[in-house]
Amino acid sequence: MKVLMSLLPSLPALPIPRALLSHYRRHPLQLLALATMIVLATMLWTGVNHLTSQARASLDQSEQAVAERQQVVRDDGQALMVEDFVSLRLVGVCVMPWLEVTPASGNRIIGIDPLAAHCFGAGAARGGDQPLDGKPFVDMSTAASAGEAHLYLLTPDSTQDSDLPAAYHLKTFATGPETGELGDSFLLNLEALGVLVLLITALLLRSVYLLGLAQRRDSFALLHRFGVSPGQVQRWLVLEIIALALICVVPGVGLGRWLAAGLGGGFGQALDGLFDIPLYAGQGQGWITPVLVMLTVVVIACLGDLLLLRFRERLSLSVPNQGRLATALFLAGLVMAWLAPSLPWVFVAVALVFAGAAWLTPTAVTGFANWRAGQSKAPLARWRYRELAVLARRLTLPLVALQFALAMVLAIQALVTTFEDTFDRWLGQRLEAAYYIEVPAGADSRKAVDWLTGHQASNPGMQWHQVIRGSTRMADKAAASRQQVDVYALAPISTLITGWGLLEAEDHPWETLAGNKGVMINEQLARRQTLGAGDTLQLVLDGQTRDMRILGVYPDYGRPVGEVLMNAEALPENFIARSESFSITPGELGITSVTDGLKRLWGVETLSMRDNSTIRELATGVFDQTFALTRAMTVLTLILAASALLMMGWVFFTTRAWYFRLLVVWGMSQRQVAGQLLRLALALTGGIALLALPLGIWLTWVLVHRINPLAFGWSLPMAVYPTFWLELGALSLAIGVSIAALMRRQLGKPSVARVSASALTGGER
Amino acid sequence: MTESLLAVRGLSKHFVSGNETVPVIEKLTFTLGQGQSLALVGRSGSGKSTLLNLLCGLESPDAGTIVMQGQVFEAGSAATREKAAAWADLRRQQIGVVFQEANLMPALTLLENVRFRAQLAGRDPANSEDWLTRLDIGELAQRYPDQVSGGQRQRAALAMVFSMEPALILADEPTGSLDRQTAAEVTQVLFDLQARYRCGLILATHDAELAAGCQQLLDLGHMSAV
Repeated sequence: MKVLMSLLPSLPALPIPRALLSHYRRHPLQLLALATMIVLATMLWTGVNHLTSQARASLDQSEQAVAERQQVVRDDGQALMVEDFVSLRLVGVCVMPWLEVTPASGNRIIGIDPLAAHCFGAGAARGGDQPLDGKPFVDMSTAASAGEAHLYLLTPDSTQDSDLPAAYHLKTFATGPETGELGDSFLLNLEALGVLVLLITALLLRSVYLLGLAQRRDSFALLHRFGVSPGQVQRWLVLEIIALALICVVPGVGLGRWLAAGLGGGFGQALDGLFDIPLYAGQGQGWITPVLVMLTVVVIACLGDLLLLRFRERLSLSVPNQGRLATALFLAGLVMAWLAPSLPWVFVAVALVFAGAAWLTPTAVTGFANWRAGQSKAPLARWRYRELAVLARRLTLPLVALQFALAMVLAIQALVTTFEDTFDRWLGQRLEAAYYIEVPAGADSRKAVDWLTGHQASNPGMQWHQVIRGSTRMADKAAASRQQVDVYALAPISTLITGWGLLEAEDHPWETLAGNKGVMINEQLARRQTLGAGDTLQLVLDGQTRDMRILGVYPDYGRPVGEVLMNAEALPENFIARSESFSITPGELGITSVTDGLKRLWGVETLSMRDNSTIRELATGVFDQTFALTRAMTVLTLILAASALLMMGWVFFTTRAWYFRLLVVWGMSQRQVAGQLLRLALALTGGIALLALPLGIWLTWVLVHRINPLAFGWSLPMAVYPTFWLELGALSLAIGVSIAALMRRQLGKPSVARVSASALTGGER
Repeated sequence: MTESLLAVRGLSKHFVSGNETVPVIEKLTFTLGQGQSLALVGRSGSGKSTLLNLLCGLESPDAGTIVMQGQVFEAGSAATREKAAAWADLRRQQIGVVFQEANLMPALTLLENVRFRAQLAGRDPANSEDWLTRLDIGELAQRYPDQVSGGQRQRAALAMVFSMEPALILADEPTGSLDRQTAAEVTQVLFDLQARYRCGLILATHDAELAAGCQQLLDLGHMSAV
């Protein structure tokens, strides 16, 4: 601002800009307000955008880090030793040692040998190029000395079983749960939030700028009388806003990055904790893109009228036609959102609905207020409703911005809460037991089944089931439609699984599954094949097609592959399992007793085991942080919108204060007038909150039921949170109270100012 | 002998500007009977508007007493809520104020404005349309203030004032923003109605012709009542 003001003395030869800028010398607060709005809007959008790109990069890295890789294991199930590494390298197999150590004192550390990773090529970058100067990656020798170690030998995806010497085979290697499309879906919604924030900030910028322009109208008229053409004035205004934008956007972007870094640091730490790898992507986008985007937004928001002047003239519509066009846009958007075949069409539909709402909202408030004024017998009530109509018209832009912000907060809150809930259930589904133990290659899982059954009898708190994973094909009369599905077979059907929420089910589905009289399918398969509970699924097992009754459909939270959950007893003897494992909650027996017993039973020294509670805790930490950030960003947007309305309301009231003072002249007390002001402000913000409610619920529906299924092929459950509506309503009323309090301060100023024609503005109806 | 409507004794008011105390009104004394009119004249800044504000309780005097329809308002005593409420009652029911402009609520029609003012004063709003007709703007009843001329707005303002059946009218440059012809018409209406309904009138003006229409003249520049 000081830079702009300092231009004034140096512009003696440029009388037009000097005259234009002199307005800000007289009213520096207006310039400050505009500059602050640009800085805050830029900060907010950059923050959301930066955070989203950081989160996306982080999750991409995390996905890479935990993605399944290949490892070489011994056929006899024994632990790998250094000799195995040597013999494999000698026959030319590319392997990288991965030594996992969990010291008694702390977190798991991983010892790797970067030199051995060279044969991985680009693939080694997942871990191989990490600096070995700190946890969790350390040099092999350091890791080996830290405690009891378990050696894995990783091999590139290109390695085939046939490349391996006898006594070895390939097996998958994973280090954690796959967040998969749940994370992607959340980020897509976060990006949609970014676009909405951009729209809201543009509206706010425009409202503040137009307010300033309105107050400079007299100066423009005077310049016109002095022979300055409107074109010259417009050109200087373009230069003025570009200069102001340049001055304010850069610090705004910096502040946004600072905000995102401050908030995102915790996110990074949580990710690091979850995956034991420094995963946080740190800086997201550079400076150029956000600066250019915000410059464009500022110029379009402030000067869009000038740029589209001819178009607007051609499109100039009467008020009723505007209303009809707005209604048409709104309805077209609603229908399009319902029927849209792809994501871009849904986004167009959302844009149409928001454009229609922006047009209709002030009209609706004004129409309602005028109707109520016509109905009211009490003079004060009639006057108040008429004033409400004026306020709704004069404060259109900040009111619409507040409505959008409220709707967005409402939708994001519902979405985030639903995501949290879904994520909890997703974790619950995948990490249902306390421990997950893999059956070593060559080991007889039936021995473990007998052993666990025997121990469960004396340990009532113990829960377990065996998991057999593999794949088969669906059969159809049309051979062309055959397709592969994953098999997820369990036995027994324990209480670890019967708590799953089902999207649809027949009566007593778990009991029927336990009795091996049907199967369940995941949501993906149900959607793809249009199947549901009670339908029959044809599966090819052991070369024969079997009809299986579908007992229920369970949510898969983004797993893209069709899956059939069945009783393991239904599997044929010769079914080829991709993996076998046990999910175990040991109860009073303790996990050590279980692992010792299984090691003895299978004759192995080590077991591949996953502590699900730790993974759950870390995974929950990551998402909690992300959800908290999203909420923080939406609340910041709301605060910005509320501040803008507060500022606009205050400035507008300055021009309107005379008419409130007239009430005092006519014999009402200051307190009574203040009461009228309060009712007026509350009616305004309360009305906007009410209008934001259906828009927010609709936006939630679009995010949950249209965008998510179209993007990922699965749907979150739609949930609404009336308690949050009440909280938001209370917040809107608090904004109204603040506006009334600010207005009341103006009323308290010394009595009645002398009124002249030039001093009075805001006298419109 | 006319019954006293308003009595002002030793009224003083000053403003503070920086470190300086600027006296605006000093030890002013006058009385106004029912149905009488008084013109306040004097150069700009001589305190005409300030005096009008004091006479309707919008500002408090530093010294002196105002007796309005038997109610005594003394300076110096704390500005109690009761005193403010008493002034508010007087303004609502007994004192009509007309400013140079902006006397109407812009969001209400002329008729709604008149009804509004009458109802605030506790009068029957049924006569509101009649008042507009009497002031020759009956056909404009459904128009909004920004849809009529300045003279018509001032007529509507007078209709509002008379609809509340005031005991005293305070008019601050009521024709200041009107052309000569319109100003003369509005002035004539004001004096006619004031005489017919026997309410007191205190008129602040720079217009000597307008001032001459009043029964008394108070020159605040020279602090003398004629």
